[in-house]
Amino acid sequence: MIFVRIWTLAQNTVREAIRNRLLYTLLFFAIALIGTGVLVSTLSYVESDRILQDVGLAAIRLMSVGIAIFVGVGLIHGEVERRTIYTILSKPVSRVEFLLGKYIGLVLTTWMMLGVMGVAFACVSLATGAPLDSGHLACFFLIGMELVVMVATATLFSAFTTPMLASLFTVGVYLLGHLSRDLRLLGEQSDAGAIKPVVSFLFEVLPDLESFNVTIAAVHQLPIPTGEVLWATAYGLGYATLLLFLASYLFARRDFR
Amino acid sequence: MHILGGIVARRLGIAVILIAVVVLTTAAHRRLPSAVRTQQGDDYVPQPQFAKAMSLGFDAVHADYYWVQAVLLAGESENPQAESKHLGRLIDVVTTLDPWVEHPYRFAAVWLIDSLDDVRHANMLLRRSFDYHPDEWRNRFYLGFNLFYYLEDNAAAADALEEATGMTGAPTYLSRLVARLRSESSSLAAAGLFLEELVRTTEDEAAKADYQSALDEVQIEWRARQLDEARENYEKLHGRDIEFVEELVLGNQAVLSALPDAEPSSVPASLRRGSKWLLDDETGAIVSSYYNRRYELHIDEHDPSRNRVVSERKREAPENQGEDSDGV
Repeated sequence: MIFVRIWTLAQNTVREAIRNRLLYTLLFFAIALIGTGVLVSTLSYVESDRILQDVGLAAIRLMSVGIAIFVGVGLIHGEVERRTIYTILSKPVSRVEFLLGKYIGLVLTTWMMLGVMGVAFACVSLATGAPLDSGHLACFFLIGMELVVMVATATLFSAFTTPMLASLFTVGVYLLGHLSRDLRLLGEQSDAGAIKPVVSFLFEVLPDLESFNVTIAAVHQLPIPTGEVLWATAYGLGYATLLLFLASYLFARRDFR
Repeated sequence: MHILGGIVARRLGIAVILIAVVVLTTAAHRRLPSAVRTQQGDDYVPQPQFAKAMSLGFDAVHADYYWVQAVLLAGESENPQAESKHLGRLIDVVTTLDPWVEHPYRFAAVWLIDSLDDVRHANMLLRRSFDYHPDEWRNRFYLGFNLFYYLEDNAAAADALEEATGMTGAPTYLSRLVARLRSESSSLAAAGLFLEELVRTTEDEAAKADYQSALDEVQIEWRARQLDEARENYEKLHGRDIEFVEELVLGNQAVLSALPDAEPSSVPASLRRGSKWLLDDETGAIVSSYYNRRYELHIDEHDPSRNRVVSERKREAPENQGEDSDGV
């Protein structure tokens, strides 16, 4: 019964999200950028397939995260602002179920958008003769896992703060998540004794978003070990679950008055 | 009527303001430099590790950005070798951000030749490629060429080529080239083999033309050496030196049946100048009127950058001068 309620909320969230104009604006820019890759690749007299796909995958990753952040942070706030949250929570729906429904709905929305962008990417690649193989599938799958984490992050922040602050915090986590490996490396090379444990702690706490980044391997058609994909999936699901636990805890104590 | 007139006037006012803003914006934009950074002379390139950290996971597309900058810089410059330092920094960033790239390593080998330091930088980049493209024989070939042609380190060049010999796609003559480098007696033949392969495989058209030009000189030098041998035979036979080159093929006791072509084979018929073999007024050596000099260390008055390399090499290792007498 719980799952049915969560699924109903998720479906509603998808319906609500696909009415959001911002979604289509970001999708338009993503597809335009994938197409721009064709122009950029002509600037190089060699390896143009690689450049085309580099630009395409970068556009997809950037715009997917943009959708996750900017559409995600407004979902709960919208319900509060329109006061529909009171109606929903007056029904036999708990706050945790509401939050999970919103989260799953947004993940599904971002995956749908990822699918649309993936089709555009595949069309451009096929039209230009750029190679496509299972590495690209693995790459798209891991972008999807990164979105699982980023949507959870956006949900966490939107559970207790305003959309503006939630956007800023989520963007910050995204940037730090891609910097965390470099931070750890810098910490290991630092002579200051206190730095190393601090950056090690940050590395463990912050999401290691580079775990989901296999774009270089996909474009160069390098082998992507199945084990690596599975561990990254487990890591992403685990990390998102922890964030959702925290989000549920904060959301359960939030005062909507 | 009065209200309607007011609305029209207001809309006209807004339209005028909008047009003025468009005109001003366009005028302001046209005053801004439109060239890309490298064309504006901006040679700032971040440290590779810093660029990697700042890529925030977009390493591949960041590498593409710097690669396109390098291609534009080499393509727009009249003398790309003079941009060696800048190109070297760009390729260092490209290959740090995405070490699996293929062509940029060989691009560095082609253009980083303005000084011996640049050549060594190119060699460092080529060696970096070995970890990511362990089966790519061409990178080892370019390293071998750099070591042989610019750094005159035949032993190291032979070592680099030896590693390439068993790799997929490597030409069968590489082992012959290794033997020639080891013997240190046929540098001209080695240079010819190197340059033939570079002409065949280089993707960059400007670089290909440079290599073809060097190969043409090697070919003419090869023929000039055949004439030198014939000249020695003539002297032994007649007890005197020739007064003009045609004497080698004249009379009953000619030492050659015909003189070789004095122009490179690659020159199309429409561009042939009717060049001849002459005795140089100053040195007395047999030269083709196509070049009016003998091939030596590929010194070309039209190629100051390579002259700098040669003079620097002589400054750095005066004790090695003249060791490689056939001068490649």
